Amino acid sequence: MSSGASNTEYVSARVRARKAALFTDEDYRKLVRMGPSGIARFMEESEYEREINELGARFSGVDLIEHALNRNLAKHFGDLLEWSEGRLYDLIARYLRKFDVWNIKTIIRGIYTGTPAEEFQTDLIRAGELDDATLDRLLEVETIEDVVELLDGTTYAEPLGDAREEFEETNTLVPLENALDREFYVHLLDNLGRPQEGPEAKYVEFLQAEIDFRNARNALRLARSGADLDPASYYIEGGVLFDESELNQLVANPDELVDHIADSKRYGNRLSEALSRLRDADSLIQFEHAIDAALLEYADMLSSIHPTSVSAVLSYILAKEREVENIRAIARGREVGLSESEIEEELVIQ
Amino acid sequence: MMEELVLATETVLQNGTTEESPFLTDSGAAALAVGLSALAAGYAERGIGAAAVGAIAEDDDLFVPGLIMTVLPETLVIFALVVVFVI
Repeated sequence: MSSGASNTEYVSARVRARKAALFTDEDYRKLVRMGPSGIARFMEESEYEREINELGARFSGVDLIEHALNRNLAKHFGDLLEWSEGRLYDLIARYLRKFDVWNIKTIIRGIYTGTPAEEFQTDLIRAGELDDATLDRLLEVETIEDVVELLDGTTYAEPLGDAREEFEETNTLVPLENALDREFYVHLLDNLGRPQEGPEAKYVEFLQAEIDFRNARNALRLARSGADLDPASYYIEGGVLFDESELNQLVANPDELVDHIADSKRYGNRLSEALSRLRDADSLIQFEHAIDAALLEYADMLSSIHPTSVSAVLSYILAKEREVENIRAIARGREVGLSESEIEEELVIQ
Repeated sequence: MMEELVLATETVLQNGTTEESPFLTDSGAAALAVGLSALAAGYAERGIGAAAVGAIAEDDDLFVPGLIMTVLPETLVIFALVVVFVI
């Protein structure tokens, strides 16, 4: 944790400028009609100019788009950590650790499937707290045991070490990935307490919302997959919407789950529109997109309550992630020949 | 009895008057007002300036609006200067 005063005003001004530069609905509508090379050209004339030019010689088509997106995301989020100081840094870094979790997961999956490091190293998003040197060393190791050893000293070493036994018994990645996710969410609300008012209260509120939605999503996935897994082992603590026993009951019935969200004082009114979409959604994917859109809307709302606070940064992080995922969905969708309306369904646009 | 009391009071009051200068003269109070308002303006400009520099870093065209916004709290000092002329 770094000490000293926060420079919230500076960071939120820069973040707002960058948020304004994100692609609009109009841009998405244009992109949906383009092929991969058209999308790459469109990106070259926008925010992504530098990345496309740098990578243009090495990759082409959808790969080029994907790598440019990852690199741009890493650049922007790296900037956030570079600008911010003091308490603000702490709050942002806390949230960006999810990219550390993503990177470690990617590396573990790569080792598990025996994929050479060159093939998945571009999937890493170097935006978290783990520095480049550590990540590069992680790319070189060959066993999961070594990964745990290299991460010694970070918060992930202990839960991974504990989960490794179970991994060796069952030979599935679920315990390892679960351990990482839990570690991330547990530390998300560390030392924050329960502030009653001010920007930090909103920050906690947002993180609780994210945990709640994550729980809801896990519950739905479990319900749909029909797998005989204990929902309790996926339950993440810290949310306000469900407790463990409630979630176990609601897993059986998605409609009741939605009603439960609508009845809650905190989300019911604010998310009524998204919830009606949730109700209409027939597929799980649409359901999840609606949850994502709801979270985005929630972050935006929080950032307009406290304009110069960490909420503005959070809403930017979410919006940027969404943009990257949308563009990737369009590019991949065009590649496999989905129709325009099918791709539009995949997008999460506010 | 009453007359004695009045006499005593007068004596006390007379003893109370001294030739020392007061704690704050009029111009001293005005100077303090200007100083405090300048401090307040500085505090306000701290936040605005940080935000303005952030905005300028993203987009050079915002230099002039940023500068204007940053110096707006200086009006506080100008208003405080009015006090100096009023007294």
